[in-house]
Amino acid sequence: MEKAKKVEIVIDSIHLNHLLEKLQKVGVSGYSVFKDVIGMGERGMMAGDELTDVFKNSYIFTLCDEETANKVVEAIRPILKKYGGICTVSDVLWVK
Amino acid sequence: MSLDLLMQNILNPAVMMFFLGLFAAILKSPLDIPQPLPKLFSLYLLIAIGFHGGYELAKSGITGDVLKVLLLAMLMAILVPIYAFFILRIKFDVYNAAAIAATYGSISAVTFITASNFLNTLGVNYGGYMVAAMTLMESPAIVIGLILVSFFAVKSLNDDLNGNTSRFNLKEVLNESLLNPSVYILLGTLIIGFVTGEKGWKAVEPLFGNLFKGMLAFFLLDMGIVAGKRLVEIKKVGTFLIGFAVLLPVFNALVAIGLAKIFGLSKGDALMFTVLCASASYIAVPAAMRMSIPEANPSLYVTPALAITFPFNISFGIPLYYTVINNIWG
Repeated sequence: MEKAKKVEIVIDSIHLNHLLEKLQKVGVSGYSVFKDVIGMGERGMMAGDELTDVFKNSYIFTLCDEETANKVVEAIRPILKKYGGICTVSDVLWVK
Repeated sequence: MSLDLLMQNILNPAVMMFFLGLFAAILKSPLDIPQPLPKLFSLYLLIAIGFHGGYELAKSGITGDVLKVLLLAMLMAILVPIYAFFILRIKFDVYNAAAIAATYGSISAVTFITASNFLNTLGVNYGGYMVAAMTLMESPAIVIGLILVSFFAVKSLNDDLNGNTSRFNLKEVLNESLLNPSVYILLGTLIIGFVTGEKGWKAVEPLFGNLFKGMLAFFLLDMGIVAGKRLVEIKKVGTFLIGFAVLLPVFNALVAIGLAKIFGLSKGDALMFTVLCASASYIAVPAAMRMSIPEANPSLYVTPALAITFPFNISFGIPLYYTVINNIWG
């Protein structure tokens, strides 16, 4: 097993593509996305039952080294500041 | 408004399915339509209406009258969000006023489709170019909303993603305005319908013509559920916005009827034009507003359009507007 950083992001689905572009730009080579994530936050209930993606979140996670994780955080901070959402970084063991 | 006309509209299967869905949500029935399906129905309806509009346009040809309707549509798509904005500024900040104004400046394709169903039942025709008018009216309000924000917002609360304070990311705005799915699919199928003409329409009619009313009823069932869930947020939007959600569409309708009369539109065209002006977007504009004006609260611009204006228009609005038109046109 190898030490790695796990970056988890929850963001409005409407901004998903924009966020994924940012991840790729800073060198993230792989990620997983759960679309249609529902929940409750500072912007109220994200019920996920709308015709648009306005009330729907997406969950993204990726594993990377510390340097890339820092780049990811800096790259997506303006998106989170402007549109809302959360991002956490944690230490994990990557089974290889 | 004659009671017969009102009952005829409300007792239409599609409209009744909407209320079936609405009451399911209010009564907390677990009734649910699996999520990808409503999007499929929505696409189906847009394709059907676009294709049929293109076919009708091919039959009638592009005449001076068609261009007149398209110009009127553009005029209203620009005017409505501007005066709506100033009315909304009485109660809301610049961001929310602009986002709500943009929502009401744009149109609801499903209201248009329901009105088309209503006219079909009465045996009144309207021109296929009204679909082109609908497509033209989807986007200007988004751009007007952003222009209003850039004019009246003293200082942006957040820098944009590029680190400057410019409100406009031109690429993003154009992308949202012109390439949003409903505009793209409506315009695309309108062109396909126009190019392929009668032969093309006959080829797709079994799917996009014969099944239309059933699919509309299914889609409206889901719309009812979604609108019913939004109804719980009504208290949060306040009485001003509730009143606005009914009175602005009626005011827009009166302006539209006046213009339609002055410019000599037929009865069917006048109703469709009126419905376009009186409806509010709950699909294309909210998505664009969420992206471009994140400071605005989506509950304030989605809830009134979806839970008040849409049900009002499809139940009372359409027969009311038609009654006024019928009385004036004779």
